[in-house]
Amino acid sequence: MSLSDLKPNTEAIISGINGDARFISRITSIGLTPGCRVTVIKNDKNRPVLMYSRDTMIAVNRRECADIRVSEINA
Amino acid sequence: MSGCEYCDNKSEKGRKNSADKNAATIALLGQPNSGKSTLFNALTGLHQHVGNWPGKTVEQKTGTFTHNGKSYTIADLPGSYSMSANSDEEVITRDFITSDEADIVCILADSSQLERSLFMLADYAGINVPCFLVLNMADVARQQGKQINPQTIEAKLGVPVMLFSAPDTKSYDTFYETLECALRDKPYLNVSTLENEYKNISGYNEIVEILSENDRHGYTPMWLAIKAMEKDKVVLDSLKNTLSLDRFNRVESLSNQSGGAIATGSAKFAWIDGILNGAVNKADVKKSIGKLDRIFTHKFWGKPAVVLTVLIGLIASFIPAMPLMAAGMGIGALKGPVLTGLTAIHCPTFLSSIICDVIIQSMGFVVQMLGFVFGVTLVFGLLEEVGIMARISFVFDNTMGKLGLQGKSVMPFLVSFGCTMGGAAGARVIDNWGQKVLTIALAWAVPCGATWAIVPMLSTTFFGAWAPLLIAVILMIMVLHIWITGKIFSRGLVKAEDRYGMIMELPPYHKPKWGSLMRYVFGRTKDTFFRVTKVILIVCFVFWLISYSGGDAQESFLAKLGMLIEPVTKFFGMPWQLFIAFIASSIGKEGAVGVLSALYSGSGSVIAATSGAAVAANINELLLANIAKPEALAFIIAVTFNMPCIVALAATYQEIHSVKWTALISIYYTITALLLAFAAYHIGLLIW
Repeated sequence: MSLSDLKPNTEAIISGINGDARFISRITSIGLTPGCRVTVIKNDKNRPVLMYSRDTMIAVNRRECADIRVSEINA
Repeated sequence: MSGCEYCDNKSEKGRKNSADKNAATIALLGQPNSGKSTLFNALTGLHQHVGNWPGKTVEQKTGTFTHNGKSYTIADLPGSYSMSANSDEEVITRDFITSDEADIVCILADSSQLERSLFMLADYAGINVPCFLVLNMADVARQQGKQINPQTIEAKLGVPVMLFSAPDTKSYDTFYETLECALRDKPYLNVSTLENEYKNISGYNEIVEILSENDRHGYTPMWLAIKAMEKDKVVLDSLKNTLSLDRFNRVESLSNQSGGAIATGSAKFAWIDGILNGAVNKADVKKSIGKLDRIFTHKFWGKPAVVLTVLIGLIASFIPAMPLMAAGMGIGALKGPVLTGLTAIHCPTFLSSIICDVIIQSMGFVVQMLGFVFGVTLVFGLLEEVGIMARISFVFDNTMGKLGLQGKSVMPFLVSFGCTMGGAAGARVIDNWGQKVLTIALAWAVPCGATWAIVPMLSTTFFGAWAPLLIAVILMIMVLHIWITGKIFSRGLVKAEDRYGMIMELPPYHKPKWGSLMRYVFGRTKDTFFRVTKVILIVCFVFWLISYSGGDAQESFLAKLGMLIEPVTKFFGMPWQLFIAFIASSIGKEGAVGVLSALYSGSGSVIAATSGAAVAANINELLLANIAKPEALAFIIAVTFNMPCIVALAATYQEIHSVKWTALISIYYTITALLLAFAAYHIGLLIW
């Protein structure tokens, strides 16, 4: 399952990130690394995905989110 | 506070240095939204210089301040999220730090998001330059119920650590104290615990061993090894040049198996967790969005809400801008009385013309423009500081992304419907230079307020009830123009690797720091004044030189040239009078009708008309009697899509700091306007 599949208000743990070195460098520098918890806040079509991670509200473009694998935490 | 407790334990060895009169240089390093600019503005006030890094297209901001009789130079390093060579900004940042120019690096982190924002410190670790850490926005963290103990962090890091909140004036005293201590003791970051994390990454030890024989000034083998694993292009290239081939190949193959930036990033965050352990009483931050964000990020209402916010902001910005704009017009109005006075003392005509039509006119333009720059800088700066700009980026990311631009680029476009120079000045919020130039280049295609002042009048004169159709066509051409121009210009300006989708933080809303913001706005306005005056004076003078006639407008060089090349310009649907009016519209569009009036009625000079002299009372009859419908169509289109005006040109130059690109954009617009005129004329010939 990828980050862009998550519904709003779901929590998940990042399990893996695909992409070139540049993308990985940028996504880790904003705090998204494997093992890190994210809470999706908004996931609307044609908008970046909005999420909370490491106390920060982060927006990541949908295409890039498809390259971030997550496993959902069942509350 | 803690900063000095740290120093007091140290020896007296550095104390002599504090008597040194030489200015110490501080490099300011921090992720976006870490409050870096606020601190920079607060420290330096109006003593700022904005230019370009030598040979680069990245903006260089330096400033000076004095404290306790000592002077300091401070460099606001271009903001980015890490020290990796992902962009020119990041390479410049680390080159500057390791160049020996910086005596101390001040690293900023956001106290309310420590875990994430300490990443910059973790990425810095391993660079051999003394530093200290400022945990900014301590007030926000406190409101969130977080308690941070800087001493605990300080003990683990081995460098001074202080809490800072910009609204608190005492914070600045602590800052100066910490700074003085750090300059005296030159503390280096303790990286042993971080290195322990790195040692768990496969291949790390061997790479470090290979690199330890390879000395690169300012960088430790640890830092180089990590960057090699992260496939940092610049580091790999330099290793390729210095290591033997088999050693380099070994480093490369070890790096490929290491897990790369994911492994090193995880190690950095593990280290950060260790640093923060016991130093922060973490309160649970509410993981939901506030009322305002619910509107701004809404599927349907987001865009209207953002546009409305910007419009309200712009209207509000006219209130402080008004006095300056009125003063600018007042200066323009001085021309009449000054001319009368000069004539009375028998001043030669050409001299009084230079004084009135070049110098006074230019100053009028400049002061009016400053009003705009002041207003737009204030509003955009405020939106940025409060945090709304990030929401604008979010909402328009998809739309503007299609043009190769960031979401915030929508702002200069909105402003350009009013005034292109405002749009150009507003493009300063775009942090990537190429995208900034592209934004301005495209915003030029948006017909500005001056265009709307003459186009409906001309359209109605020639086409009566059909005028609205023409205006609809103009708007359609605008969209197409932006799209095509975007395709053409983005190739040279926006690198494929910069075309990443948005990865950004939406910072919590902050109260604006008015003092710092106003200093920034005044600084920018002052800077703009000096740069722009030069450009406008030169262009006005050249235009005066070619259009000066002493009496009859037809006697000027420009008119003679126009008549000479008329066979060519007729091809574009423009007899010489229309062509001269078109050229004059590059100086200011509102003058185009006045120039036609001067040329067709044979009274008044071109230069006076360009800068807004009265038009003949029978202007409608004059135009209808002299200009055919297809020519009128060509002229209207040409003027609409010509370069906006000399002030927009100057503002563009001021923002992008590149003569080459400013010239390219101007030439491109002149040519495309003529091509569009050509098309319009020939379509017109088919209709009428």
